[in-house]
Amino acid sequence: MQYVADMKAAQTAGAAIDIDRVSHVYAGPEGGVQALSDVSMKVGAGRFIVIVGPSGCGKTSLLMMMAGLRDHTEGRIHVHGAPIPKPDPERVGVIFQEASLFPWLTTFDNIEFPLSLRGMSREERRRRSEPMLSLVGLTGFGERYPHELSGGMKQRVSIARGLVQDPPVLLMDEPFAALDEQTRMTMGHELLRIWSTTNKTVVFITHSLTEAVYLADEVYVMSPRPGRMIDHIMVDLPRPRTYEMMATDTFGRLRDRIWQQIRKSH
Amino acid sequence: MRRPDPKIVRWGILIALLVAWELVPMTGLLPELFLPRLSKTLTVLWIDLDKYWAALLVTLYEVVLAMVIACGLGIVAGATIGGIAVLRDLLLPVFSSLYAVPIVILYPIFTAWFGIGSQSKVMFAGIYGFFPVMLSTAAGIRTIDPQFLLAARSMGATVTQQITKVIIPASLPTVFGGLRLGGALAIIGVIVAEMLTASAGIGYLVTLNRTILDSPRVFAGILCILVLSVAYDIIARRLERRMVVWQSAGRRQQQASPRPIAQGAPAPAAA
Amino acid sequence: MKRWQIILVRMAILALVLGAWELAPRMGFVNPMLLPPLSEVLAMLKTQIARPVVQEAIMITALEVIVAFIIAVPIGAAAGVAIAEFPYAGAIFKPMLFYVFSIPKSIFLPMFILIFGIGFQQKVAYAAFTTAFVVLMSATAAVESVKSDYILVARSFGATPLQILRRVYVPSMMPVLLETLRISMIFNFTGVMIAEMYASRTGIGHLISNWGENFQMPQLFAGVIMLAVVAIAFNETVRFLEARCSTWRT
Repeated sequence: MQYVADMKAAQTAGAAIDIDRVSHVYAGPEGGVQALSDVSMKVGAGRFIVIVGPSGCGKTSLLMMMAGLRDHTEGRIHVHGAPIPKPDPERVGVIFQEASLFPWLTTFDNIEFPLSLRGMSREERRRRSEPMLSLVGLTGFGERYPHELSGGMKQRVSIARGLVQDPPVLLMDEPFAALDEQTRMTMGHELLRIWSTTNKTVVFITHSLTEAVYLADEVYVMSPRPGRMIDHIMVDLPRPRTYEMMATDTFGRLRDRIWQQIRKSH
Repeated sequence: MRRPDPKIVRWGILIALLVAWELVPMTGLLPELFLPRLSKTLTVLWIDLDKYWAALLVTLYEVVLAMVIACGLGIVAGATIGGIAVLRDLLLPVFSSLYAVPIVILYPIFTAWFGIGSQSKVMFAGIYGFFPVMLSTAAGIRTIDPQFLLAARSMGATVTQQITKVIIPASLPTVFGGLRLGGALAIIGVIVAEMLTASAGIGYLVTLNRTILDSPRVFAGILCILVLSVAYDIIARRLERRMVVWQSAGRRQQQASPRPIAQGAPAPAAA
Repeated sequence: MKRWQIILVRMAILALVLGAWELAPRMGFVNPMLLPPLSEVLAMLKTQIARPVVQEAIMITALEVIVAFIIAVPIGAAAGVAIAEFPYAGAIFKPMLFYVFSIPKSIFLPMFILIFGIGFQQKVAYAAFTTAFVVLMSATAAVESVKSDYILVARSFGATPLQILRRVYVPSMMPVLLETLRISMIFNFTGVMIAEMYASRTGIGHLISNWGENFQMPQLFAGVIMLAVVAIAFNETVRFLEARCSTWRT
């Protein structure tokens, strides 16, 4: 099957993200708490990976580790062949559930924020942020403030900000969770468009099984704490994805499989 | 019949009060000793304008200095104590307990140490404003969304950059609130001090005229102070609102316990 | 930091401050005329409390505080509730209240003196006047803090206004009420002090003011400590009660 061949190709090319037997124990009020247990993942370059799992399973922690924002007690995480002990926005862009746009900055300033940290000149920054703005479909909103934007628009700005330094990897932690369902669906579609244009490697976390199947090339299912990978599902739906695919049998079967796995693991 | 716009009613009440101020003493309902006529008060103010103006300058000078102390120390202390968890747990409860003590009882100490001139007023009003500003800032610092720092870190911001580019802009609303509060309290503190023991200033004038039972001049002084404090409040609020247009966004919801007096809204005026 | 560690550090800080108060004047770092050593102040406190003049002053001040409070609370509360309950009144008066708060109410003291002369009535009237505003603000906030959801639920089950008052408003507002009373008392106390220090022949505030004028520093500090202790003690007691009442709140 085509996707298996793609997968093998990705593996031989060297994984973009290589997570090898990562575990994490942190100090809790009553002694050590195992957050992650022996998690392994190999993500091929340019793939769209989705991680689903119940609340508290550690998927956010795992993402934070991939971003260099958090430590792990055991195992190895490599992004593009090198470890990531601290944040590296040129390698990994992070998009959070709360857009976390700075309310005192305009849209342009928000997108350019990572660039301003590097001391880039104003003209250079604008040169890079303008295409980002149009990529996420917000041309003309550059001078607006976050409080003037809707939830969906704020997330688009957040995505633009994550992309502005052109990192090969994009990590997204339930970015659409705070949006209403209709906006969610639109945003998912938009995200796929942006992804296909830019060819990034995306790791996307969500609670929504529908969203997972709709967006992903591969879905990883995590168990409740301590988080382990209990299933790795290949989504063999053709691209580009359409809304109509959601009504197909294949879609339903894939979603059902994820749900069964999650139910079993409780 | 539709009810009139509240704003109009407010102005109406204000005008009615001013009219009453003129008419009531005139008709003898209240003796002129208690409430001199508005026209008389204004006349006397006009006659002694230079005296009142000089006094006002002294008062303003003291207020500005006191404000620098109250806001300067208050905001810095509040940000530090509020921002550092250890200090917060350690000191904040102590300070809010101390808030229960009427600061005014310390004023005689200040006059004994610094004399009856401006210095004692400045010190007193400075301390008077310091506590509420500090408490308010400490509370405000905690409303900054911690996600901001996470986002900044994820974009590779150094610690310095996190402070200058995230924490400081995010704390502007709190800082401006503190400035407004500090100024209002400085005015109150200075006026109280001037009324108690002083040799100059508007408060001193008011007291002086009271002892000689010169009601019109007393009320002229009261009027000056009223205008001063209301004007300050209006200007400060307008400035605050303009500076922080985005204030409502990006702040964590204040938790369930309402603290209407000690923080947030109006300056707690004990005097 | 653990609870006992916090208490320990606070005790240490307190000891440091008190120690400094004792030693600095004794060792000449500070002029002992201006800042008498702590031990001297405490000894003076003991002496003063025994004097009938001082005891009388304490009684008078306490009476003023209580009477002013009793007058101010119902008036302020009624007005505050009215403003909260009638949105139209609220729309009119609320913006005015903000300005009222930044006005130094001590400027009205001369007015009260002109009307009542110097004495008990004047001080009580003034203190009640200042306190009423604080009570008003707090009462408004307290009533508004009762979530409209709760009221809606009660009404949907057919509760009468009186029942809603007793079974939704009161329990919901109880912790806030206590806090209101506590804060109002702080302002009340302050008001009485200001009145006594300004123009009065009786009361602790007057004594303190006098001692200050005559540079009787040990007495002055003794008076200040006494008042501070009373104020803090009262405050903490009510705080404790507040905490007990609000176990159901987050």
